[in-house]
Amino acid sequence: MNLQSLIYAKLDGEITPEQHQQLEALLREDWQARRLYLELADQHARLLQQPQIATGRLQDKSPAVTPSLRWKRFIPPAAIAASIALAFVIWPNETPDTEATSSGVAMLSQTMDAEFALSTLRSGDTLTPGTLKLTHGLAQIEFFSGATALIEGAAEIEIISAWEARCVSGRLRVHVPPAAKGFLMHAPGMKLEDLGTEFALNVKDSRSAVHVFEGEVIAHTDQAPASLTEGMTLGTTASDFLRINELQGLIKQRQEQRFNQWHSWSQEMRKDPRLIAYYTFKHWPDDRWDRMINNFAEPLQKQRHGGAVGAQWTQGRWPEKEALEFKRPGDRVRMNLDGTYAALTLACWVKVDSVDKKYNSLLLTDGYDNGEPHWQIHEDGSLMFSIKYRPADVPKGGKHNQMYFSQPVFTSDSLGRWHHLAVTYDNQSGEVIQYFDGQEVSREISGLHQPGRDIFFGPCEIGNWGLPTEGHQFPIRNLNGAIDEFAIYSAVLSTEEVKALVKAGQVE
Amino acid sequence: MEANPHSTEALILLLTQHQDQLFRYVYSLLANEADARDAMQETSLALFRKFDQYDAKRPFLPWAYRFAYLQVQKHREKNARSPLLFSEDVMDLIAHERSHIEPLLDERLRLLDACLGRLTPKDKELITSRYALRQSAEEMMQRFALSRRTLFRNLEMLRQRLHECVTLQLKAEGLA
Repeated sequence: MNLQSLIYAKLDGEITPEQHQQLEALLREDWQARRLYLELADQHARLLQQPQIATGRLQDKSPAVTPSLRWKRFIPPAAIAASIALAFVIWPNETPDTEATSSGVAMLSQTMDAEFALSTLRSGDTLTPGTLKLTHGLAQIEFFSGATALIEGAAEIEIISAWEARCVSGRLRVHVPPAAKGFLMHAPGMKLEDLGTEFALNVKDSRSAVHVFEGEVIAHTDQAPASLTEGMTLGTTASDFLRINELQGLIKQRQEQRFNQWHSWSQEMRKDPRLIAYYTFKHWPDDRWDRMINNFAEPLQKQRHGGAVGAQWTQGRWPEKEALEFKRPGDRVRMNLDGTYAALTLACWVKVDSVDKKYNSLLLTDGYDNGEPHWQIHEDGSLMFSIKYRPADVPKGGKHNQMYFSQPVFTSDSLGRWHHLAVTYDNQSGEVIQYFDGQEVSREISGLHQPGRDIFFGPCEIGNWGLPTEGHQFPIRNLNGAIDEFAIYSAVLSTEEVKALVKAGQVE
Repeated sequence: MEANPHSTEALILLLTQHQDQLFRYVYSLLANEADARDAMQETSLALFRKFDQYDAKRPFLPWAYRFAYLQVQKHREKNARSPLLFSEDVMDLIAHERSHIEPLLDERLRLLDACLGRLTPKDKELITSRYALRQSAEEMMQRFALSRRTLFRNLEMLRQRLHECVTLQLKAEGLA
């Protein structure tokens, strides 16, 4: 038996005493063997701890409560000592169905003019078990089991788990792919067990009607269970079932409309004489080798076109719009911005997937010389703008860069969504103002500021740091996310102007 | 409560926050789920008793690992005659190695989730059966109509694919 098989036999409890001696001998003499053992044991332990990650299947039918909450709320102090000991016995041992890290069972994938009673939900939000009241508009819910429900307001839906929901009232349409076979939908007077299909359900005045468009549904009523197949209808209420194609069409139409509005606005704003460069990340799909990131600022200054390195094309704020995705340590857009400036505004639309480095680049000049701005996201999720001025008589190594931090803006709630970031700097007043989605998140003048010192860009990069200064401790600074619009101005935009940028470009 | 860093509540929060890491630590030394759970239980009691000595300015895990290691040793002494427990020197070597590569192991787990998502439905079923449903070898042999040998061979190959997937991802990120 080779090392790998011996390790698996050990983890599975299938190892014989002789094989165990063999394994021990290998582990004793070879650190690489110990490493492989540790990697495989860790993987195995993780699967034992959180098997639901493996399949996305949450079998718990009751709302999962994170253990800290559970204890905080329900365990009287006298029982705490015992429960610490019990903690690892009750949970998750013997109950591998309790989601430990998140109680989410579904996500709100798309909305259109949606308004919710009791909550302000946005598309992309994770949903936990509970009641969802849609007062108006359309909402699409994707259960973690794979089932999808499109709901028309007004409707009341109770989300029970990734595998189960109840329609109290309203019209909905459910699609269940083979992987989510067995998805249960309760409605007054019936329980629908889905065998991989698409069906519509109307509930009004506690009466239900169901229509199967495709596949098979088992309907459990007070009668014997009935199999419903394509084209069959069961129930008593009006049968104007929700038509999915029209609704998908509406959402698509809305996105197109938003894209077109942005596009015509963008045609005008690019004529702003204060623009140093303006990148919209337009991609010509016919040209598969095209790595040019055009500067669209008018009048045209071709020398300020950028070049994409590594970064791949992906979808931007709308299906019609492209974005550039930065994932790997090498991904970047290289530019060379000539000129000397007295003020600046940097503004971009970015979808940050994760703030996983100490510094996560937005725009950085190569190296870090006098007058050069650096704009990045700090590891705590705050925006960080800095500009360096080292007086000639001061030796290298000291701290001479003016640094400005915002409050943390990237949290789990704002990751994975499109946001607008902006920063302004004026070399007379020294004031730096930072914005997140048009809201001011910091305003500050550095103690190191001296009026009138010039700003330079020169060779610089979006999404990465071109030439880290020698011996720097954190040379990997690539952004983990996507950017689909970047504007660089030679002046300070007013708060109203920044808000206008956000309004013109917002997703919905 | 928050004002007192040695309150029971503070310990519970620390334990729940780190229980997955603690479990993986203990598991790597014992390689047996039931034994690991026992040792975890003893460890949490020991931590509770000694919690007033914990310096809240220092990271919790290294401190907790020391107690866990002692509990694992106690467990080993109690079952000294079992031929299927690691000898003390091997355990030492493993614990030592683990402390060096712990950040890398954490990285691997982050990538493991993505790799699990890419499994075929058949592989997912095998994983669910083994880990989520905790089915015994006998149940699984029956369910998948496999001999014992083939079943464990399939499980080994599946987990090996996961391991390789994670390694490839690490390389892609420039971490390996």
